[in-house]
Amino acid sequence: MELLQYTLRKLIAGIPLIFGVTFISFLLMVYFGPDKTYDLLGKNPTEQQIAEIRSELGYDQPFVARYFNYVTELATLNFGRSESTGEKVSDLLARTIPVSLALVTPGFVLGNLFGVLLALFAASRRGSWVDKTIMGCSAVGMSISFLIAIIAFQLVFSSSYGLGWFPVRGWNIHSPLDYLRYVTVPTLATVFVALGYNTRFYRAVIVEELSRDHVRTAKAFGVSPAKILSVHVLKNCAIPIITRVVFSIPFIVISGSLLLETYFGIPGVGKVAFDAITTGNQPVLKAVVGLTAVLFVLAQILTDILYRVADPRVSLN
Amino acid sequence: MAAAPETIARVAAPPHQGLWSKAFHKFCRDRAGLVGLWVVVLYAIVALGVWLGLWASDWAEVTGPKWGPVSAEHWFGTNLIGQDIFARALYSTRTAFELGLVVAVLSTFVGAVLGAFAGFFSGGWIDELVLWFMGVIDSIPFYLLVAAIAFSLGDSPYAMYIAMIATFWVGTSRLVRGEVIKLKELEFVEAAHAIGLSEVAIIFRHILPNTFHILLVQATITFVAAIKSEVILSFLGIGIQDGMSWGLMIAESTIEVLAGFFNNFIAASLLMFGLVMAFNMFSDALQDALDPRSVR
Amino acid sequence: MLEVRDLAVEFDTEHGRVRAVNNVSFSVNAGEVVGLVGESGCGKTVTGLSLLGLVPSPPGKVVHGEILLDGDDLLKLDEAGMRRIRGSEVSMIFQEPMTALNPVLTVGYQMTEVLRLHKSLSQQQARHAAIDMLGIVGIPAPSKRIDEYPHEMSGGMRQRVMIAMALSCGPKLLIADEPTTALDVTTQAQVLDEIVRLQHQFEMAVILITHDLGVVAQTCQRALVMYCGQLVEAAPINSLFASPLHPYTQGLIGSIPRIREHKIERLPVIEGMVPDIAALPDGCHFADRCNRVQADCHERSPVLTPSADAGAVACWHPLEPQHD
Repeated sequence: MELLQYTLRKLIAGIPLIFGVTFISFLLMVYFGPDKTYDLLGKNPTEQQIAEIRSELGYDQPFVARYFNYVTELATLNFGRSESTGEKVSDLLARTIPVSLALVTPGFVLGNLFGVLLALFAASRRGSWVDKTIMGCSAVGMSISFLIAIIAFQLVFSSSYGLGWFPVRGWNIHSPLDYLRYVTVPTLATVFVALGYNTRFYRAVIVEELSRDHVRTAKAFGVSPAKILSVHVLKNCAIPIITRVVFSIPFIVISGSLLLETYFGIPGVGKVAFDAITTGNQPVLKAVVGLTAVLFVLAQILTDILYRVADPRVSLN
Repeated sequence: MAAAPETIARVAAPPHQGLWSKAFHKFCRDRAGLVGLWVVVLYAIVALGVWLGLWASDWAEVTGPKWGPVSAEHWFGTNLIGQDIFARALYSTRTAFELGLVVAVLSTFVGAVLGAFAGFFSGGWIDELVLWFMGVIDSIPFYLLVAAIAFSLGDSPYAMYIAMIATFWVGTSRLVRGEVIKLKELEFVEAAHAIGLSEVAIIFRHILPNTFHILLVQATITFVAAIKSEVILSFLGIGIQDGMSWGLMIAESTIEVLAGFFNNFIAASLLMFGLVMAFNMFSDALQDALDPRSVR
Repeated sequence: MLEVRDLAVEFDTEHGRVRAVNNVSFSVNAGEVVGLVGESGCGKTVTGLSLLGLVPSPPGKVVHGEILLDGDDLLKLDEAGMRRIRGSEVSMIFQEPMTALNPVLTVGYQMTEVLRLHKSLSQQQARHAAIDMLGIVGIPAPSKRIDEYPHEMSGGMRQRVMIAMALSCGPKLLIADEPTTALDVTTQAQVLDEIVRLQHQFEMAVILITHDLGVVAQTCQRALVMYCGQLVEAAPINSLFASPLHPYTQGLIGSIPRIREHKIERLPVIEGMVPDIAALPDGCHFADRCNRVQADCHERSPVLTPSADAGAVACWHPLEPQHD
């Protein structure tokens, strides 16, 4: 019950943020967005035709009413139809979001998991050559653009100039084996780039925690280094780790899939967003921007709730 | 009663006195940082040369055959329409520096000012407003924000710049805000209050100069972030609109690599990796050297 | 029982290698309470940590010496062997009860972990032993409080939990590093009494590391005085207070605030500053602050030499022993 109240309070506290996010995307995508009137009209339209179209598009309504319409669209998931295919945007999203999740989840999970493991390994041998090697590789990984990594991994693993083990592009899945064939190279590229940043971040968190008094206490009572790391330190690092993981979800789902799907020709929400960007497909674009922003605010609230689970000192009040 | 000038000078001594000279000595002992700095300087000279028209001015001209091989004349070969890849890669250095410097300077400035005001009036409405704004910006995925801004500006070449500045100031601002909250409790700020300086004057003359070590590090981080984002934005078609950049070269190369022609890809990737890596090394060393906690 | 011989610990710092503990030798008998006294930075904590092999490394390193526990040299043990000693044969409690316990694990988890590490107990047995131990150190309603997190307890309670943890496996020696410094005055006295009472009950030896000679006077049978990494005087409590031999000890005793019959102008202090441990002067390190200094003090380092009354002093010109 306490937790429910806490969640409700956090949700209410998220309202200004949701307002801000929807307002900014409304301003950019709808209010200052391109005027669609003349795209929908034939040559030499009459005054009356123009007025009809403008009223159809809602351009004649006052600012507040148009913003309210936008929020209603977001809340009811009713964004109209895609300008390029005529498909309902909600159907389009329902079809493509699962593809994107299937594509980015393995890389996201493995990138964080290996990041924490490598960071634990490096931090426990702080200053040794193992630590220096891991951190050196992480610096190199951080300096390589995601796009370059994607191209390089595709060349090495998929193309006829490299090993040619995996399909070059596409997403044609009928069995779990197909899934593995198509998801492997994008996952490798994601993990490669994510490891650079994650390892570095998690190592800094763990090194800081290792310097705390309670670690010395555990050592003074004969607790083994493995157990100190895996229980005493890791549990204390839960908050920064949770924060990073949850906050990177929207980034991975949208930005990660944007590149991966465009490059590998995978029909996910990222590809849809990319096509909408290049063709100026307003209904799709405003749906994607608005929804991810709201998703992010919800992720932040989720983080706050997870804090409470991870750390008994976080008060519910 | 007016305070004597020397009293102000004494009381208003910055808290980080000695930080800079210690940081300088510490930085000079950091081999990776020095290597990074020299490589960055080398790139800067290349960029300056391009800007002065000393080299790579023929980057847009057709000077060889389609997909010409590596030769003494064309160090990285030629591209699809016979332009010299090396010249294009060099010219892109200038684009990278222009973008990096403009975005780093402006977003650091915006972040510093907003962060300082938020921190100085922490708890007040200015602070609430800035915090809210930062939360909003953080909530919109970066590439989509660029797309949205490009969308509303009608494919303006400035869309990418505006979007980067609008996004990157937030990180700096959060750090500055935190530091200013600490600084404003210190004696030298109270002294400035006591002699009747206005709040704006205190912020600009006494508080912001003391956050300079944060701003310097943040500017280098922003510089790298701008260059890395450009590659992806240019590939997506919402980056550099005219001229040449590593991102455009890589976007161009995505068709070529599948046909077995790698020169464009390798040239742009290598040059970009070199600058980003060097900047990261420099930035890390700077951060280490300027961290007050590590100055013993 | 414990014998430390010629122990030296060095640290690598930005200003080069620094010797934090310099050729220290002392012994502790079974069931004895010994105070290790000195100003902060004199090496007393590092000495305590090195007994359990806890000197952070890098940057620290035990350069030479022997630490004999019942005749076995702890410095020759490997990590696994040392872990068997820690918390069972020799326990240590620390200054900061606020941070020394893990904030995200319950008191019960932390106590049972130690118990099960050193004794073959089931989870249930360990829990009962932990509850018993919390009761022994004077925590009310221990079966309830065992499931609390450290932040739900007061500083004094937390230090009691630390003590309970330290004693749960029946150590021969307890090293207590400033156990009461961070507590308020009333709690200080209670915790100190508790340590003395438990020391009798468990018949263990205690090394009490403190900067507070008053605490030493209340609890210890013998005291070791450290200055700049060296042992400068060792003596039984009575003779130390009645007749200190080292001028530094005399200065320390003189600066204890106490209720006096006559109002004095101000508390006597030892003039001068503790020298930078990275740039120690030649000869006796205390020479620059000493009121009995003579020319030879700056040239040769004094060594700890036995004196009358079972004590020892490292000084070229010690004070005269006084007899009642």
